[in-house]
Amino acid sequence: MGYLNNQVVTVDAILTTKGRELLAKGDGSFNITSFALSDDEIDYTLYNPNNPSGSAFYGEAIQNMPLLEAFPDETQMMKYKLVTLPRDTAKMPVVTAGVTVIKMKQTSTFTVTPQTLNYLGNKSTTETSGYVFTVSDVRQFAQNNGVLGQGLGTDAERNLNAASSQTNGTNVSRTVIGTSCVLTATGVNTLYGQAGNSASILYSVITIIGRDSGARVQVPIQITKT
Amino acid sequence: MADQRNQIATFAPLDQGDLLISTENVTSTVWLNNTPTLTSYFTSSVQVNSATGQFYYSIYFEEEATGSVQFAIAYCDADGSGSLLYNPNVDGLSPTRTNYGQYRNLILGDEESSFVFGNQSASYFYALPVERSGYKEELLPGAMTLALSGSDETLRLTDDSKLGGAAVFSEAGRIFNLVSGSAGAVYTDINSNGWTANSGSYGWFMPDIGTILLSGPALSGSFADGGIDLSVSRASNTQVNNPEKLYTVLNDGGSGAGSPDGWTLNSNEQLSSDFIFVRARSQNFNYSTNPSFISGSDGSVLYDTFINDPQVYITSIGLYNNNQELVAVAKLSRPLLKDFTKELLVRIKLDF
Repeated sequence: MGYLNNQVVTVDAILTTKGRELLAKGDGSFNITSFALSDDEIDYTLYNPNNPSGSAFYGEAIQNMPLLEAFPDETQMMKYKLVTLPRDTAKMPVVTAGVTVIKMKQTSTFTVTPQTLNYLGNKSTTETSGYVFTVSDVRQFAQNNGVLGQGLGTDAERNLNAASSQTNGTNVSRTVIGTSCVLTATGVNTLYGQAGNSASILYSVITIIGRDSGARVQVPIQITKT
Repeated sequence: MADQRNQIATFAPLDQGDLLISTENVTSTVWLNNTPTLTSYFTSSVQVNSATGQFYYSIYFEEEATGSVQFAIAYCDADGSGSLLYNPNVDGLSPTRTNYGQYRNLILGDEESSFVFGNQSASYFYALPVERSGYKEELLPGAMTLALSGSDETLRLTDDSKLGGAAVFSEAGRIFNLVSGSAGAVYTDINSNGWTANSGSYGWFMPDIGTILLSGPALSGSFADGGIDLSVSRASNTQVNNPEKLYTVLNDGGSGAGSPDGWTLNSNEQLSSDFIFVRARSQNFNYSTNPSFISGSDGSVLYDTFINDPQVYITSIGLYNNNQELVAVAKLSRPLLKDFTKELLVRIKLDF
């Protein structure tokens, strides 16, 4: 990790770990078809609309900041996306999961059904394109359909959920899409007491991102040994 | 992904005009640390005295021989001369014969064919395979100078790719003759083709397999005939260390008497690049999901001025596939301001 030289404007591009994996497959799944922009690392509280030097200097604390090089880990990049919204938007979309902590017991199931506040003028609703759900440690869930996206009924949902079952052996996260996500806790005991987990509780996290709004929320998961 | 009717989106599609595939040739040096010319050559006594030393000598960049092999010297003989037989009861089969068969299979393919350097066949020669990590894809024709010194005289060799003739293709790709000269310029003092007087050319330059063959008869000739009096021994069932003899004239060509030049060698690589042109229109990407852009839990923007005139700063560009998986990412060196009065056009280059 290092800083980029910000004396000149350059673009430092790399393939992500996922990109290398898909490129190695050689099945055409690498094809780039869309882009998104993000403002990771920007702290907007540094923006000062009261700067006595005038409006040209409101963002001076942001504009000259040095930026870090790109990380190859795709889960650590593009966290906070820029979003296209109608002008005069006063409230940004906010994703809520309905719970602050997901508490489960071994082999039990839990369905996460997120809602988005301020989405297309609605106070609280489900996004048209659904949500992306990523659990940080798939080993904590049942082998078959332990993390299942549902609700959209589209080809994209089926394709993404099918592809997500293919892992490269080292990537323990799993991503699915849908309007809701059904989690089924593992019945296996071996992870209890290992690094990051207590003798009786497994800890992980689920990240939920609105596919239209880009808004995201993270919810901790606790699976209690029975 | 939402369409424009929804007026909310975080992904923007790329069309065919935004993607461009291009290839370019990148030349560089072959030797370690971007050294253009190798003037000192080192062997490892451990390697020379090991089982592999019967077949080839590894030539190192530094005296310590710490693993930075640059190329190897293998002596090849159709009769198996110059090394001990595998079995004294089986005539002709020795490491030098194995080397010969290996290169004949690789380059000629046909066991009935023989090596013809220029207009003369040769039944013994040296093979100098260059370390692949150095030449990457292929050696660059027309840029080589190889100096060999013997008896206070220095012979400089290059390839004849700049003479304008068509390359000869073998089972191992292109073949150019090694001729007297430097950096592609041919010396015609002895022969109009740059060959020796009586032994044909000095060997072959094969860029596609990163290997050079040096003709034994050509190097064994007198300096007046274009050789360097290299005393290659073809004694049967005798370990005569012919690679050591070439190693000596190489070293003298790099740092010995006369006007040493060393070995200048360049590589060539075709680099394929994807160019992606990302365009953010004035109406798009003007709000942020960054937590610091929001004040409170109801999603209100941080400053009232952001309602009508949001100011966001782009730091990263993510490139996605059909499954919305992040396959590549580009990072700007400084934040770029984006608002409803600005458009952004960024060219991203991905090398493969």
